[in-house]
Amino acid sequence: MSLFLIVALPFLGALLPGLMNQAGRDACSGVTFMVSLAAFIGLLTNLPSVLAGEVVTVGIDWMPLLGLNFTLMLDGLGFFFAFLILGIGLLIIAYARHYLSRDDNMGEFFTYLLLFQGAMVGIVLSDNILLLLVFWELTSLSSFLLIGYWKHLPEGRQGARMALAVTGMGGLAMIGGMLILGQIVGSYELSVILQHRDLIQADPLYVPALLLILLGAFTKSAQFPFHFWLPHAMAAPTPVSAYLHSATMVKAGIFLMARMWPVLSGTPEWFVLVTGAGLITMVLGAVIALFKHDLKSVLAFSTVSHLGLITMLLGTGTAFGAFAAVFHILNHATFKAALFMSAGIIDHETHTRDIRRLGGLRHLMPITAVIMTIAALSMAGVPLLNGFLSKEMMLEESTQTVMFNTWWLVPALATLAALFSAGYSFRLIAHTFFGPKRDDYPAAPHDPGFGLWGPPAFLVVLVVTIGVAPFLVEDFVKIVTASVLGTTAELPHAYIKIWHGLVPALYMSLAAVGGGVILVIMHSVLQKIWDATPRPEAKVIFDATISSFVSLARSLILPLHNGAFSRYAAIAAVTIIGAGYFAWITGVQGAATRAPQAATPVALAGWAMLVAATFGLVFLHRNRLLALIMMGIVGLMVSVGFVYFSAPDLAMTQFTVEAVTIILLLLALNFMPNRSPVESTVLHRVRDAFVAVAGGFGAMAMAWHYLLRDAVATPISEFHLANSYKGGGGTNVVNVILVDFRGFDTYGEIIVLGIAALLIYALTETLLNGPVRARLLNRVPDQPRAGGMHPMMMVVLTRVIMPVVLMVGFYIFMRGHNEPGGGFIAGLIVSIAVVMQYMASGFSWASSRLRYPYHGVIGAGVLLAGLTGIGSWFVNKPFLTTDFTYVRIPPFEKFELATAAIFDLGVLLAVVGAVMLTLESFSRLARTAHTKDSVHPMDIDPSRQASTEEGA
Amino acid sequence: MISSDIQTVLPEISLAVFAMLALLAGVYNGKDKTAPMMVWLTSGMFVLLAAWIGYGGEGTTTAFGGMFVNDGFARFAKVTILLSAAAVLLMSQDYMTKLGLLRFEYPLLVALSVVGMMFMVSAGDLMALYMGLELQSLALYVVASLRRDSVKSTEAGLKYFVLGALSSGLLLYGASLTYGFAGTTLFSGIIAAADGGVSLGMLFGVVFMLAGLAFKVSAAPFHMWTPDVYEGSPTPVTAFFATAPKVAAMAMFARVVHDAFGGIVGEWQQIIAFLSVLSMFLGAIAAIGQTNIKRLMAYSSIAHMGFALMGLAAGTAFGVQAMLIYMAIYVTMNIGTFAFILSMERDGRPVTNIASLNQYAKTEPLKALAVLLLMFSLAGVPPLVGFFGKFYVLRAAYDAGLAWLAVAGVVASVIGAFYYLRIVFYMYFGAEQDDPLDRGMPPVLWGFLVVTAAMMLVGIVNLFGIEPLAQAAAATLVN
Repeated sequence: MSLFLIVALPFLGALLPGLMNQAGRDACSGVTFMVSLAAFIGLLTNLPSVLAGEVVTVGIDWMPLLGLNFTLMLDGLGFFFAFLILGIGLLIIAYARHYLSRDDNMGEFFTYLLLFQGAMVGIVLSDNILLLLVFWELTSLSSFLLIGYWKHLPEGRQGARMALAVTGMGGLAMIGGMLILGQIVGSYELSVILQHRDLIQADPLYVPALLLILLGAFTKSAQFPFHFWLPHAMAAPTPVSAYLHSATMVKAGIFLMARMWPVLSGTPEWFVLVTGAGLITMVLGAVIALFKHDLKSVLAFSTVSHLGLITMLLGTGTAFGAFAAVFHILNHATFKAALFMSAGIIDHETHTRDIRRLGGLRHLMPITAVIMTIAALSMAGVPLLNGFLSKEMMLEESTQTVMFNTWWLVPALATLAALFSAGYSFRLIAHTFFGPKRDDYPAAPHDPGFGLWGPPAFLVVLVVTIGVAPFLVEDFVKIVTASVLGTTAELPHAYIKIWHGLVPALYMSLAAVGGGVILVIMHSVLQKIWDATPRPEAKVIFDATISSFVSLARSLILPLHNGAFSRYAAIAAVTIIGAGYFAWITGVQGAATRAPQAATPVALAGWAMLVAATFGLVFLHRNRLLALIMMGIVGLMVSVGFVYFSAPDLAMTQFTVEAVTIILLLLALNFMPNRSPVESTVLHRVRDAFVAVAGGFGAMAMAWHYLLRDAVATPISEFHLANSYKGGGGTNVVNVILVDFRGFDTYGEIIVLGIAALLIYALTETLLNGPVRARLLNRVPDQPRAGGMHPMMMVVLTRVIMPVVLMVGFYIFMRGHNEPGGGFIAGLIVSIAVVMQYMASGFSWASSRLRYPYHGVIGAGVLLAGLTGIGSWFVNKPFLTTDFTYVRIPPFEKFELATAAIFDLGVLLAVVGAVMLTLESFSRLARTAHTKDSVHPMDIDPSRQASTEEGA
Repeated sequence: MISSDIQTVLPEISLAVFAMLALLAGVYNGKDKTAPMMVWLTSGMFVLLAAWIGYGGEGTTTAFGGMFVNDGFARFAKVTILLSAAAVLLMSQDYMTKLGLLRFEYPLLVALSVVGMMFMVSAGDLMALYMGLELQSLALYVVASLRRDSVKSTEAGLKYFVLGALSSGLLLYGASLTYGFAGTTLFSGIIAAADGGVSLGMLFGVVFMLAGLAFKVSAAPFHMWTPDVYEGSPTPVTAFFATAPKVAAMAMFARVVHDAFGGIVGEWQQIIAFLSVLSMFLGAIAAIGQTNIKRLMAYSSIAHMGFALMGLAAGTAFGVQAMLIYMAIYVTMNIGTFAFILSMERDGRPVTNIASLNQYAKTEPLKALAVLLLMFSLAGVPPLVGFFGKFYVLRAAYDAGLAWLAVAGVVASVIGAFYYLRIVFYMYFGAEQDDPLDRGMPPVLWGFLVVTAAMMLVGIVNLFGIEPLAQAAAATLVN
């Protein structure tokens, strides 16, 4: 049968149990069994080619861009594992049919089980390591569902959580290892990778790859220090424990190590990591198992211990080690699955798994007793059972292994583990089946039907058969071993037999069995000592690790993200400075192309004032009015700077913008307390000062750098200088750019400006008609108002100034095309003239004299500018094409008329309207209830006083 | 000339005109009563445009003197943006109605921001890029503070605005420095100017532009706004933030580094690698301690952006392809996850506490399974689709000689898996609780949740065929 079909059958079949759920329990389990059986038979059809030493491969492209292909490979190792998975799977399905009660949803269970089975088969048959990864995590996923099948058990939750966290994360780590491996070799196909041992081991990334892959394997196979999850996963239904946690899933890690053996093993890193972890796990698991009371716990820890044993054997990197490992995988699968199923029977019949509440069951449950005793004896390593054979080989291998230059270390530990292993096995038998019959079992125990004891019995038959006649499987084990070794090592000439002569392993084995008996006899004493000694509990450590991890994460992150904006800004600023510094040190500084100018006294004075104002701002900023004044100085100095650097247009714009902004801010200050409160600590301020100074120096360095260098070979200003007069008819390049070259931009800008002003107007309107109005009206300013709001002197002065300022505006507007000036600046100047009237004579007085609403002014400006642009259509030119001509009207000098001037007038109007509308809107907010707004221009008006007196 | 230009930008213009007309229609007819219709109309418009763009143009065309580029890369990004925006918009309707937030401006603001995104990814010029970016950002600032009566929402909006403005300023500063040294704002001109070495001045420009872009994709250490904005905004808005703008910003990032600075990969590779590794770890570690699922998704998105940046850091066509695939997958996963978060309610009130998911699987097995798939996919667990995205970027980084980055990415994904898995634990094995989440779910949300979850599984067949598309798209960008 095609390998595709073998892998696909369980997945496709997984649909059936769910569908058959209504058809009854027998139909449900029956169909599951048939699906597995079909896959199993399919596998067996490939046996001849495997026995012949061939490697069966099939494949199709899946995501070739990624290197992921659906390629499957069946060699001895793959066949061996697939055989175990499907074979034991069949027994488990039969067993589960009788184990699950009527209340359990059988369809769901078998669906998950088949998914899991398919994923496992996928792992062992994958040729592509990415495909292997896919199946690998699929087993995590489906096992999560299986472990969580009995959701009502609280310990099940914890178990599922640990299992998933540990194996899932290990699997993710493995992605990295596989990636490195695939990239080193240039292919993700195992069949290719396995040919490149030297290439991989010579690569500098060999160690990271090894670590990541072992992380995946160790977590899956519960090797130290990840051994703790397996016992906690035992809350799952027993068929699951038997299947996942003894025979199949936990062996996936072992499988991977065996699969990768040809390319990864043989290095000191591999030896220390794998053998070391294996040894520790082996001893640790065995010791703990002796003192557990839950039958399944004992078995779980013993599984951990045996997995450690296999890992240790693979770690040695010798052919004999691999040989022993393969053999033990087979043996362990048989006796451990039998043990789990027997434990499940006991649980099922007596309703307890606590070994202290059991005992004397050999008369009540004779069949189970026989099955379990044989299996446990095999686990203990008693001769004539298969466990003995592989354990002897393990001990033999251990005597050949020297770790840390200490010849006795490995054998001693191996013997110790074997000793404890014998101990818990004997205890399992003695405390469950022997001893007096009790009368306080939670339920009346009796042997179950054949459905439950049949599957373990079948396995026990295998245990005995292999134990007595190992030559039956020897060839098969050798074929498997050959495929583990690949081409890297010769198959060992050793053969499996019961009697090897008086070799050291025999003595060690004897010591182990004898010691085991002593342990059981002394058990009650040892248990007391064990219970009295404080020892780390894996679950506690796990929980503590998790919670400390969480609190570490919190303590790292929360201070950074406390919601304080200042912190965010500080981090951003520091990073930006850092980024600038990075550019500074990595970039190549070209030579300076300009000489620095000499510092003139004027420039120095300006600079000093700028610095002084900045310092003043920093130290006086809590007084908001003073801060505003300082800001005004800074702004003025910047404007002066523009003048100094021959940019009068910019300077004028800056001047006027500064003035308007300060007026706006003054209005805003009206609503705010006079002083800003102190909220930061000294430490914060010192930190901020550092950041600010660093930023300042950074900016200075950059400015210095740029000022000494030409940016591009021909600056863009050359073009404008050359074309301004020729093409635009003006000598003021800035103005020509604004109204001519980039007239379309300016047109857009004035529209935006107008929209912004209208929006501000709309917002304040809404605000003043809403609930805010009451609050504004009842606002009590924190400062007492000054007495005279509209002093006479000021009113008179502004009236006088008004025409003058308007004239200045007109002048600035007119000269704009050739000299510094233009519509924008003129607009701001006109606005200032009008604003002065508002400030001096009061809002009501000023607005009642307003003939055109500001909305209209804005509209007129935009319209005018637009019409100027459209005008050019009439002479068949594109929108906003300008034209100019020179006229001479005696007695004036020759002057220029340009369409751009009309456009500029539109700009002026739009600016005036926008600025005034904005200011007017804001000032409406400032009007409060208790200060009656006067319709008169002056507080004290001699003429008015006279007239009122007359009236009175 | 101008008509062919218009032809090229017709999809964008249509959407902009649609948004403006709909705005007028909404203002003069019924205002918020039209909102549900607007939502459906806008979504429909998005889908139509996606189909138009997806099945329409072939090859590369430019408009307005190279300011606007319509190539395979832009089309891939646009289709992703439009479809995800349409999905999020549809999902938001029930939630917004319930909270009384469904104003007719909401879908239109989303539409305008989408216009901005479409311009961003098609920009062939620094100015066009900035225009698109600002159009997008301005609309998003408003959307973030849509819930005006909530302090958190307004605070989120304000923070987003100030930091966003700061980053825009930074970007602009970098852009002007670049312009100063390249003498042009056209990407094609910049890449020519940078050919054969880059001056310090231009390097400053590159660095500052990257910093500004990093803000927009919320890469660490410029991510500070993300958790607050995600938590403070109404959940549908959060869902929107987590999807389309991320794709747009990432695509724009790719566009800038490859179209404008493609000749000086060595100069920016280290910076992006740094951003990537920092984002991955910060996102992974920070999310561990979170109890609010929206904040958690914020950190999750930071980590995911780190992975996407890993693809960019490679500086190769394969890297861009990996990034595109990653983003497409990321968006799909997030749509599903947010469909679920939007439905999290207790007694009719939205909840965002992770602990409220305890024992969710007991009452809602199917939805719990869907969320399980999404979470596993977000964690990058094979065989779900999320794994392929992750593997793509890892491979791209490794191929480009950034093996350390790939290994760091693996470690970060292991850490990150912790909190995705934790949500699953809560749902399946959490402590018993008396007041479970409400059952039932608006059909739209249910549909999105189940469909995206199914996509996580079905997609493993061939990733819905986006691989060759992404490859072609990347090929048009990197050459």
